[in-house]
Amino acid sequence: MTSSDIARSAAPPVARLIEAFHRLPGIGPKSAQRLTYHLIRMPQEEANEFAAAILGVKEKIVLCNICANISEGEECAICSDLQRDQTRICVVEEPLDVIAIERANVFSGQYHVLHGIISPVNGIGPKDLKLRELISRLQNQTIEEIIIATSPNLEGDATAMYIQKLIGPLGITITRLARGLPSGSDIEYADDSTLAHALESRTEIPLSPDNTSG
Amino acid sequence: MTSKRPFTYTTDAVVLRISNLGEADRIVTLITPVHGLIRGVAKSARKPNSKLGGHLDLFRHVIVSVRETRSLHGLSQVSTINGFRGLRDNLQRFSHAAYVSELSERFSVESGANRPLFQLLINVLDSLETTTQEELIVRFFEMRLLQLNGFAPELSRCVETGVELEPNNHFYSPDQGGLIHNNYQPSGETAVLPASLNTIKLLRFLSKTDITQAGNVKAKENDIRQLSRILREQIHHVLDRRLRSEPFMDEIRSRNLYISKHIDRSGSD
Repeated sequence: MTSSDIARSAAPPVARLIEAFHRLPGIGPKSAQRLTYHLIRMPQEEANEFAAAILGVKEKIVLCNICANISEGEECAICSDLQRDQTRICVVEEPLDVIAIERANVFSGQYHVLHGIISPVNGIGPKDLKLRELISRLQNQTIEEIIIATSPNLEGDATAMYIQKLIGPLGITITRLARGLPSGSDIEYADDSTLAHALESRTEIPLSPDNTSG
Repeated sequence: MTSKRPFTYTTDAVVLRISNLGEADRIVTLITPVHGLIRGVAKSARKPNSKLGGHLDLFRHVIVSVRETRSLHGLSQVSTINGFRGLRDNLQRFSHAAYVSELSERFSVESGANRPLFQLLINVLDSLETTTQEELIVRFFEMRLLQLNGFAPELSRCVETGVELEPNNHFYSPDQGGLIHNNYQPSGETAVLPASLNTIKLLRFLSKTDITQAGNVKAKENDIRQLSRILREQIHHVLDRRLRSEPFMDEIRSRNLYISKHIDRSGSD
């Protein structure tokens, strides 16, 4: 049974909501149906809060003027925090990547969100990304390092190379996140590219006090 | 009542397109020699510990196990035959690989075996990894693709009059798929492109040669540009559309030309 079959047999407001849920990424017809009937059974107050949260996101959220991250005001909380390192910018693909890096609690610089990645086969080119904003930011601010944190795949590599070509002449240090074997994985299943990166970026094991004594 | 068991097979494939699905899955479009285009789901491929994710990256030649279903197939047990690492650290090679990969997808169908096209794609990706003549390798790919699909350009006779063409500058008509004599006055509706004698020689050479020879040709920049225009217009005519990867390829090409001109100029100073 497809979502349109379900929609036809349900009352019109229910059908509209099923269709609306079905348009969301990762929601199939069955999930759309389940979510709709869950909402129908929800207390009125909770449903109002849910609806207000959806509308609030659309009405109050804008892109930060500086880093293009999702923000409630003209400047996001990270850009307006003067305690953070103002000389390092971490360039990420999506706002969700900012959350992931912030969760790790190891980076105290600023971010720049590209809102995509260069993907020629999908018709996404450099003009579709927030690169112009990055360049003007670099020209107006004193930046010492750009950390490119695009995904470790071919399109992520291409985006990193493009950024490198673009901002290379500005004389800023450009770095990329390290790549290699993820914790808890098996070498047996690693692909050649991951293994090559892991070998190229191998590190010396420092001598521990136990080894030096004996 | 008997239930039909899903059909599972293992095949060679090249990854042509990737998109995200749900929390951590990936939809992957593959080209295969026997089963044509395949669209399948690689479960949890975006998770760092995934055994599939690293192998199912763009333009990789892999061996994959495919479980057929009515919609998206299931992909598992992937291993890499050739990752074409040389395409990963050069933007121009990457842009050309994206173009040949998109062309391969456009000229393929699901369940349509096309062993020659698959082999051509492998050879071209392999060559693009190391060659310094990327433009000519891509033009070779376009020419061979047209030939494999029954659209081989007519390069010895005028497509309007059928007269054998003497060695000279002529025109090329993408609509009619071949050269037109330079005496011919095209009507308003027939779009023709200039084809110099050198460009015609290049077209004829590419139509008969192999990939190794194509990569060794020395040609002038203007002739390569004219050749590119002719073959790309011919492909647009056949597909009735432009390719999504073309603007990026052109941008990288012009950016590289700009940089190399500046290097030349500063070197001569």
